[in-house]
Amino acid sequence: MNIFLQYILLGVAILVAYAVLALILIYVERKVCGFFQCRIGPNRVGPWGVFQSVADMVKILLKELVHIDKADHVLFRMASFFVIIGSICTFAALPFARGVQAIDFNVGIFYVLAVSSLGVVGILLAGWSSNSKYSMIGAMRSGAQLISYEISSGLSLMTIVVLSGTMQLSEIVEQQSDLWFIFRGHVPACIAFLCYLISGHAETNRGPFDMPEAESELTSGYHTEYSGIQFGFFYLAEYLNMFIVAAVASTMFLGGWQPLHIPGLDGFNAVMDFIPGIVWFLGKTFFCVFLALWIRWTFPRLRIDQLLSLEWKVLMPICLVNLLLMAVVVIW
Amino acid sequence: MTQLEQLRTAGYDFLIDIVGMDWGPDEGLGVIYYLARSYDVADTISVKAVAEGGRENPSLPSVSSLWDVAQVYEREVHDFFGITFSGNPDLRRLFLRGDWVGFPLRKDYDPSVNHVPHTDETFREMDGEGLFAGDKYVVNFGPQHPAMHGVLHLRVSLDGEIVRRVDPHFGYIHRGVEKMCESYTYPQILHLTDRLDYLSGAIDRHGFCLACEQALQTEAPPRAVVVRTIFDELTRIASHLLGWGSMCMDMGAVTAFIYAMRDREKIMDIFEETAGGRLMVNYSVIGGLASDIHPNFQRRVREFIPYMRKMLREHHLLFTGNPIARGRMHGVGKLSLEKAISLGVTGPAGRASGWVNDLREVAPYAAYGQVEFKQKIRTGGETFDRYIIRLEEIESSLHIIEQLIDNIPDGSYAEKTKAVVRLPEGDFFQRVENARGQFGIHITSKGDKTPYRVKFRSPSMVLVGALKQIAPENKVADLIMLGGSLDYVIPCIDR
Amino acid sequence: MVRQNYILRLVSSLWHLAQGLYITMLNFLRPKVTEQYPENRGKHIYFERFRAELIMPHDENNQHRCTACGICQMNCPNGTIRVTSSAPRILDRHLYDIGSCTFCALCTQTCPQRAIEFTNSFEHSTFTKGPLVKQLNRPGSSLKTASE
Repeated sequence: MNIFLQYILLGVAILVAYAVLALILIYVERKVCGFFQCRIGPNRVGPWGVFQSVADMVKILLKELVHIDKADHVLFRMASFFVIIGSICTFAALPFARGVQAIDFNVGIFYVLAVSSLGVVGILLAGWSSNSKYSMIGAMRSGAQLISYEISSGLSLMTIVVLSGTMQLSEIVEQQSDLWFIFRGHVPACIAFLCYLISGHAETNRGPFDMPEAESELTSGYHTEYSGIQFGFFYLAEYLNMFIVAAVASTMFLGGWQPLHIPGLDGFNAVMDFIPGIVWFLGKTFFCVFLALWIRWTFPRLRIDQLLSLEWKVLMPICLVNLLLMAVVVIW
Repeated sequence: MTQLEQLRTAGYDFLIDIVGMDWGPDEGLGVIYYLARSYDVADTISVKAVAEGGRENPSLPSVSSLWDVAQVYEREVHDFFGITFSGNPDLRRLFLRGDWVGFPLRKDYDPSVNHVPHTDETFREMDGEGLFAGDKYVVNFGPQHPAMHGVLHLRVSLDGEIVRRVDPHFGYIHRGVEKMCESYTYPQILHLTDRLDYLSGAIDRHGFCLACEQALQTEAPPRAVVVRTIFDELTRIASHLLGWGSMCMDMGAVTAFIYAMRDREKIMDIFEETAGGRLMVNYSVIGGLASDIHPNFQRRVREFIPYMRKMLREHHLLFTGNPIARGRMHGVGKLSLEKAISLGVTGPAGRASGWVNDLREVAPYAAYGQVEFKQKIRTGGETFDRYIIRLEEIESSLHIIEQLIDNIPDGSYAEKTKAVVRLPEGDFFQRVENARGQFGIHITSKGDKTPYRVKFRSPSMVLVGALKQIAPENKVADLIMLGGSLDYVIPCIDR
Repeated sequence: MVRQNYILRLVSSLWHLAQGLYITMLNFLRPKVTEQYPENRGKHIYFERFRAELIMPHDENNQHRCTACGICQMNCPNGTIRVTSSAPRILDRHLYDIGSCTFCALCTQTCPQRAIEFTNSFEHSTFTKGPLVKQLNRPGSSLKTASE
């Protein structure tokens, strides 16, 4: 009984953290986007508009779920759950601070990769079942895109696995207590970091890789026909996926919740230790999120053939060579 | 027809416009063709053709085999005057529904015969359903679509991501401006010209004023001429900025669009201060200007020039060099010079294909004769050429303004005109170079205070025709980008 | 050769991407251009000549210059203006429907008495169409006499 209660509490805690983070991310995105575009961004609801995303959430909860004629209703309703479950499962595996981690497998990184690709099933289902031509094109693009970029994101994470010798996330973070992997792994780690940022960005369907949505041609791609909270699920998952990619990047490359330590400077290290781990983790993650936003609001969208040639002709060869290079570095 | 064929072989390879006419019960129906030579667009000639078959079955031979653009012009005349062009392969109505009764621009048209539905009615099959017979995946882009620059409706047949066929469908916001003009006095018509191509409203209005002044054989005072020219160039910059921004947005770079709007705002402020309107500037009137320039006008324009130059450099850094954008624009949507001329694609899109057609240089009007100006020409005809030529033209427009802003002559800003403007009897045709190409105004006057017939040549309509030509065999994403690169404005088509 | 091109293209691509990022970061740090509308009322300067509403100026004796000649009504392309008068040169009502006005300024340009003009007060939003039709002459106003 006790353990059962524990599970429920844990589940609720994760869901709450998930929702709250999504609201924060939506606000941050809109504000940062505004600043990049010489605008102020939301500033009406609450001071500096901080409650804007709360207001949006209330609105989305109150909205009608539109019934689509001739859609495949079972799949149509199911699709949004696939997307959000995939993203919540990944979210649960993230190490927020020492011990603050819901699932700590010994194949943690493998689990993250596996579960996060569940989302593509939802997207494909959404596009197929909504009986809309725009959605269909969006879903097909999304399928091609996610399957391709999974490879290079996996390969770049494997580079770090080679360096650390373990797949367990908590263990990987522990190992970085002296020096973060991006510094310790020499050039290959830096290249892997860049590759992971690009391919992770592409996996989350965000600009400049937002072809599945492509608002200028497909209106909004696979979720064109969704409304109300079902659209909300896609929306939440999109933002949380961005957070998850940033969090995995910071865990694997930037030391997760470990403070910045420089070997030899003991005083400095001691000062850094005073900052709690959760702050370090969120700080690094939001830094990666900011990078993602910066890129999104600068570049135009790629065309589907450019996207695929970027993956298969540029990113994947680089990742493969990089993996070899890392193996060489580790052996020496 | 034989005469037109001879003219075509004699080098008149640019069909500017076909103006449908109803000369009344005695003379009957017909059309006026306006032709020009592509290597010297100032050399125009007009040919009048009266339809055979009376008012019941008027018909004319089609010239769509001589000029590609005639295809769509003839559809327009067919739509409004009911003239059948034998030999035109696709003679559907262009703007009106297929079941519309009567031909609205005929003088004996009775508007009461058409039932205009005010409530939802049963869905009616669209015309030309047979066009897409056999195509499995036909997608509607528009009339409400984020990238349609207004209310254009493209029916696109797709094969996976590849576009196979495009059929534009006009008329969703047709306001019948040409019919309205027939009951308006000349000064009243001026408020409609701003609302055709709303992004180059000041230029279109200038053109209509020039047409009236040409008919009245008066001239605007030199001060008005120079100020009008500066306004035209500012309008062109504003329009090109928006064209650039919306093309970037069509390619997914929303930030560039906002930057373009930010810079355009400066021009809007200049307009607002002097003319009192932002988009509908309402500044030129027949015989001059509506009011004198504001004391701040020159200072503001002088401040704007270096600002715009700086921002242009930033725009280039942001987007022109971007490898994603370059990769998308490279080798896509080639419009050859011959095709551009045959389709009548004027303006930046035509000049990107290497056609020297800028009226500001070839047939200078207003103050363009007084300034040093060389039109920008590119020879590639690809999407990138159409993209970059807009930014280059902003630069040359700044150069024109720079030369004029310190030399605005003193004197009156408007010639006194009579209280009621009556144009002498006759046909008048005037072209101006607006931000999208040659904007033409045809006026037939019978000496009354209202015109007998007014026809506007819309450069945008031709651009959509070009899209139909260059979009097939490209990707869906390219279709949207090509639309952005041609930069059409729908209210100019749906007059 | 091909390999060299590949590397070269990769590097130049990255360089151009960095330029774009530099521009957006530059704008991130610049002051913002948004006009905050209801807050900047009173602070923001609206241009004098902006055509937003037709008015008929009255002097301190509640007198205007309109002779009810109806030229503005004749010139208006949209039937925005309706002038009623019971006797010559006596204006009863000068009705102006802002809902159908296109601000072409033909009425003010052609008015022989310069009795009407445009102001830049632009806040016209209402919940119904009714208040959009305005009577420009004030109640009890009269024509300005020549001696004044």
